[in-house]
Amino acid sequence: MNERVNNDMVAVAALEPDTELMLRVKEGDTASFALLLERHRAPVIHFLYRMVQNQAVAEELAQEVFLRVYRARTSYEPTAKFTTWLFRIAMHLALNSLRDGKNERGQESLDVETPAAPGRQIADRKPTVEQDLVHEVKLREVRRAIHLLPAKQRAAVLMHKYHELEYSQIARVLNCSESAVKSLLFRAYETLRVRLAHLV
Amino acid sequence: MECPIQSRENADLLLAYCARKLEPRTAAILERHMESCPDCRAFGDEQRSVWAALDRWDAQPVSPVFDRRLYQRLEAEEHRGWWDRAVRPWLPRAWRPAFPLAAASVLVAAVLLFRSPAPVGFPETNQAEAVDMDLERVERTLDDLEMLRQLNLMARVEAPSLQPM
Repeated sequence: MNERVNNDMVAVAALEPDTELMLRVKEGDTASFALLLERHRAPVIHFLYRMVQNQAVAEELAQEVFLRVYRARTSYEPTAKFTTWLFRIAMHLALNSLRDGKNERGQESLDVETPAAPGRQIADRKPTVEQDLVHEVKLREVRRAIHLLPAKQRAAVLMHKYHELEYSQIARVLNCSESAVKSLLFRAYETLRVRLAHLV
Repeated sequence: MECPIQSRENADLLLAYCARKLEPRTAAILERHMESCPDCRAFGDEQRSVWAALDRWDAQPVSPVFDRRLYQRLEAEEHRGWWDRAVRPWLPRAWRPAFPLAAASVLVAAVLLFRSPAPVGFPETNQAEAVDMDLERVERTLDDLEMLRQLNLMARVEAPSLQPM
């Protein structure tokens, strides 16, 4: 058993640059922590933002994620991909936040207009006011549809759609089997197909 | 190919196909199946629409002070005492400000409770008087006993002479 775990650890460390960086952090290399932060800051915040739908709460939770990573550096063992471990911490914090209702006090209304992404503001193809309004209405529907999913289904969809995690990784993050993940995703997308059908 | 819609086993193939994560050979087989299966074709179209709808949701830019705040917290973490580092993660956030006060109160209570008891009661002079009084009583009792013993002896000596001849 121990031999298998050791083999897994060697294999993960050999394949994953993030794991190597984390092992260097374990040895006291703070520059490696800065690199990990640079690589994973945005994905973690974006995942948390889509989970709790509040940017301020998402950033606060992301701070806690990286604090926990730093605190755990001395006991870190590369038994899984670094991303899996990171998303597991993030998901745990997001679920706690949703359960405690911490994000409700300052939850951004689904009716509030979110800043447009830089990619959509191209000078020579600037969208008209009408196009902007249509986009906002559709975006609001998408956010609402995601928000109404049960927390586990929501997390599974976000990791699958926006972060391209493999089924095995999602399973480890959600602490369930791969077939359970497939089932979760199937049901979640089924619900989304019904809720978003009118946008087509 | 077994219809993915009919068998839940292969349903993830359709999801993977719509996410363009399916390897080309399997994708080609699925496409051939979809040509003859209206259910799978409808599922694929709907799933692609959902995928496109989700693409509309761009994430917001990260605050420029995020890293600075994090490094400040990490630095504060480094300078915290071992006790704080061990206990703080287990405390609910709302209790954290009250914890030092509660800990100090418990410490004071413990000191008061387990401190060796100080001499309580009479001042020294009173105690000496009490001891003297006790000694006097003992001496008096011993004297009384001695007197009784002698009276007893006298009674025994005198007793035969009192007896009738």
